[in-house]
Amino acid sequence: MMSQPASSADEVVRVSGFVKRYKQHCAVNGLDFTVQRGEIYGLIGPDGAGKSSVLKAIAGVLGYEEGSVDVFGTLLDSERAAEQVKRRIGFLPQGLGLNLYPELSVEENIDFFAKLRLVPEADLQARKARLLGITRLDRFRTRLMKQLSGGMKQKLGLICTLIHEPELAILDEPTTGVDPVSRRDFWAILAEWQAVKGMTALVSTAYMDEAVRFHRLSFLSHGRVLASGRPADVQSLVPGLVVTFESTPQLEAVARLKRRYTQVESLGPSLHVFTPEQDAEAAVAGIRQALDNLPATHLRTDEPELEDVVVALLLKEQDGQTTVSERSGQSGLSANRPQFDGPAVEAKELIRDFGSFRAVDRVSFEMKQGEIFGLLGANGAGKTTVIKMLTGIVPPTGGAGRVAGADMRTASGAIKERIGYMSQAFSLYLDLTVIENIRLFADIYGLARRQAQQRMAWIVEMAGLSGYVNDRTGRLPMGVRQRLALGCALVHSPRVLFLDEPTSGVDPIGRRRFWELLSRLAREEGVAILITTHYLSEAEHCDRLVLMYAGRIVAEGTPGELKAEVEREVGQLLELTVDTPGAALAQVAAAGFTGAALFGTKIHVLSRDPSGDEARLREILAQVGMTVTGVRPRMLSLEDVFVSRVMALEQASQKGGAR
Amino acid sequence: MTVGRGVATWGQRLVALTWKELLHLWRDVPLLLFLIYSFSLSVLVSGAGITMQLTNAELLAHDEDQSPSSRELIHRFQPPYFALVGAISDPREGLRQLDEGRAMVVLDIPPRFHEALMSGERTTIQLLVDTTNAPQGLSAAAYTVRIAALFGTEAALASAGLSGAKASRPLVSSAHRVWFNPTQDERWFQSISHLLRMITLFAVLLPAAALVREKERGTVEQLLVSPVSPFQIMFSKVLAMSGVILLATALALYGVLHPVFHVPMKGSAALFFLLTALHVFTTAGFGLVAATLAKNQAQVAMMALFVVGPMLLLSGITSPFESMPQWVQAIMTLSPLRYYIDITYGVMLKGAGLDLLWKPVGAMLLLGGTLFGSGMWRFRRQFQ
Repeated sequence: MMSQPASSADEVVRVSGFVKRYKQHCAVNGLDFTVQRGEIYGLIGPDGAGKSSVLKAIAGVLGYEEGSVDVFGTLLDSERAAEQVKRRIGFLPQGLGLNLYPELSVEENIDFFAKLRLVPEADLQARKARLLGITRLDRFRTRLMKQLSGGMKQKLGLICTLIHEPELAILDEPTTGVDPVSRRDFWAILAEWQAVKGMTALVSTAYMDEAVRFHRLSFLSHGRVLASGRPADVQSLVPGLVVTFESTPQLEAVARLKRRYTQVESLGPSLHVFTPEQDAEAAVAGIRQALDNLPATHLRTDEPELEDVVVALLLKEQDGQTTVSERSGQSGLSANRPQFDGPAVEAKELIRDFGSFRAVDRVSFEMKQGEIFGLLGANGAGKTTVIKMLTGIVPPTGGAGRVAGADMRTASGAIKERIGYMSQAFSLYLDLTVIENIRLFADIYGLARRQAQQRMAWIVEMAGLSGYVNDRTGRLPMGVRQRLALGCALVHSPRVLFLDEPTSGVDPIGRRRFWELLSRLAREEGVAILITTHYLSEAEHCDRLVLMYAGRIVAEGTPGELKAEVEREVGQLLELTVDTPGAALAQVAAAGFTGAALFGTKIHVLSRDPSGDEARLREILAQVGMTVTGVRPRMLSLEDVFVSRVMALEQASQKGGAR
Repeated sequence: MTVGRGVATWGQRLVALTWKELLHLWRDVPLLLFLIYSFSLSVLVSGAGITMQLTNAELLAHDEDQSPSSRELIHRFQPPYFALVGAISDPREGLRQLDEGRAMVVLDIPPRFHEALMSGERTTIQLLVDTTNAPQGLSAAAYTVRIAALFGTEAALASAGLSGAKASRPLVSSAHRVWFNPTQDERWFQSISHLLRMITLFAVLLPAAALVREKERGTVEQLLVSPVSPFQIMFSKVLAMSGVILLATALALYGVLHPVFHVPMKGSAALFFLLTALHVFTTAGFGLVAATLAKNQAQVAMMALFVVGPMLLLSGITSPFESMPQWVQAIMTLSPLRYYIDITYGVMLKGAGLDLLWKPVGAMLLLGGTLFGSGMWRFRRQFQ
């Protein structure tokens, strides 16, 4: 879009007028983009946007109906043409470790792919050492692939895809379901291979916050491109500012703001509003006016994130109301709801062993009624086991706890009546209709007929399901399915709601809508919500968080507190804009800056002394003839917090192990 | 909460879960079609098509005598059991045709056969039988022996001047009366056997698949955190599938067995269906245990075959139970099908009631209870 016109020799991929149909369903409807040599190009979009179809076609493993796909100047119109380019590309299909062999060890998997690609022995050893080094997998060379965690599998998958040094790597949702630390490692390899070997990469992702990692990107929605270009170009499509502040009562503030703004989100105690005004003062003035007399404290304005822009574009495209209905969602059943005093969940020194392995080690926390509580941690940190103990699926080995006022060990029956649970898979019966699913759970919870009718009506209204009541659940879009699953979990008006990775595969608007529902449940009805998530951008919605590592809680606090704590320890985040980021990164790292990482064309660096370091950075880079075009401080994200905490712990445990 | 309300809620949950299972099956069109086919067309085909009786065994005659007696003997080999496919003059030709599988029986009549019979000498005929298919070969040999023996006796009597009604020499003649299947219609046995096979197969597979599907989809966790017991989760599946299998059995019985093959129902049909339900419940226990061990539908199907295969082969519908080695018989006391066979033939063909069948019924109850109990025990443990 805004890129320089390049000669076709630099064009690695050209897709034009691409159409892919599966029977009647049109997965991709007219797609155009080109990928230049040496860039990391992103396809961003929710599940079902058509990303996989395009990537498979480019990798030469899927035919297409209309348009053309050229790779390295070869038109892929036949099996034979596809075979010609296959040796020059590496393809990582979607799904954790799907291209690997579970019965082979890490090293055997790598060697197998290297032999398949005829990599010379000397090259193989060098590359293997380097790749295992960056991914920190070298300690696990002899471990069988099936014993690796999800993140490790995915890193191994990437190594096997890159071992023959392809000119083009095609990676289909490589970071979905991968914990944040592994995601960082993943991006580190890609950035290095791009900078050092000049590799081109085409990567799809459902995580909006990964957009900044790309040089250029296309945002797909329903098989079409919604926006494309450099991240900055996309950002400039919808000008505006994001205003973050606190106001009470929060729900009333949200209601007032919504009359004026289309994007209002509550993130824990603060509110996040996207304003069309580009001037900070005008934006704040607009907010104050909309709030009427309500207070606005801790005000700050920021450049909008890509997600805000994309949501604005999606809203424009749909041109409709996507917010939850304004009618107050009082269930009318509050009186029926079993009331209890004290905290919603109280865990004391919970322990769970599986054989000799301690999955959960003396976990204690308390969750207030009406609180949104986040449980974060990498795969295998013990989050799911904690939820399983609290919901009564798994008995604890030791410790005690009370859930919704009932004792975990003696009153699991009472607990089950008072809690709601929604799992990653949304746990719905896909061949039943929406209303049949709701009715099933109403019966399971023993609701009387009249009561069930009322609740069903409430769920349909709350979750915006009215157009779908008699549709089979399997045919619903993910966002609607997710709200239905939430509805089913709420059918008996539980006091405590457990959500295990509830937002995977849902588009940004669907996610926002879901969070709006959750915050209303918590604020209006006093339901306590415990949630685990891999999307750390979502953890911002929580009132309080705990971070788990190796079965233990290692950090606890509000998102703000956690960030402030890490900022005190490691410093502030600076974002550098330079013309040659790859080379500049090496210089910055060599100068001893911690946490230096490449984000597309920008460099992130941690600094304890922002103003002093800014000058130092400019100086260091000026010495080698590089110009810094911009330095700006950025808020640490929860992902930064997570990664910094977990990395520190990993290093500590390795040292401990070595001792 | 009062006890009455508690029971009502318990029932409400069980009904809701059972209804859900029926909806799943109703919407699984391919499975539904397969079920209907298995209990209609497939029963029809197996009843009409499968027979163990000797039919059209190809017979070659090597007649070196070419006499009235030799021709008489050859013509006693009649359809439907035998089909004369030709005469040969060279014995090696006969061996060749046996080797190539074009003849099943070669009848070799020596020279001077007629002469010997007439003069009251002893004579022999030779019979070569291909017993690659052992039951067929054995019955071909048996028939031949009978035909030859009768021919010999008649010849002997004739040579003694006795024939027809005048034959008053002491002879033992066996008069046999056929019970329970008076016309000796083999289609009865075959079609009933096949029905039993289908009932057993679906009784293992349907509930097992339903349970594993919930594990695969993750819906079972949703059920575990709700106030339903493992018993309700498992029993609702067996209940729904038993209902479906009983309906399908009725379809086979009143749509195929009765109108087409005229299989009678001598005993009480209600008793038959009741005991069929018991068999389905017991057999489903195997499926449920398998489902708690399996991770996905492919695995459970494999495990089910592992159980169902030997059960179908060795319980006594494919071959007689009594003729099996002792140790096989011992293992097969664990097969519900073994008891169900006795029950089915007993009720349908012999008109037996519970007074005669209490032993197999008791054995099935014991077996079913144990299986279901261990399934429930495994069910809880598999998530821990």
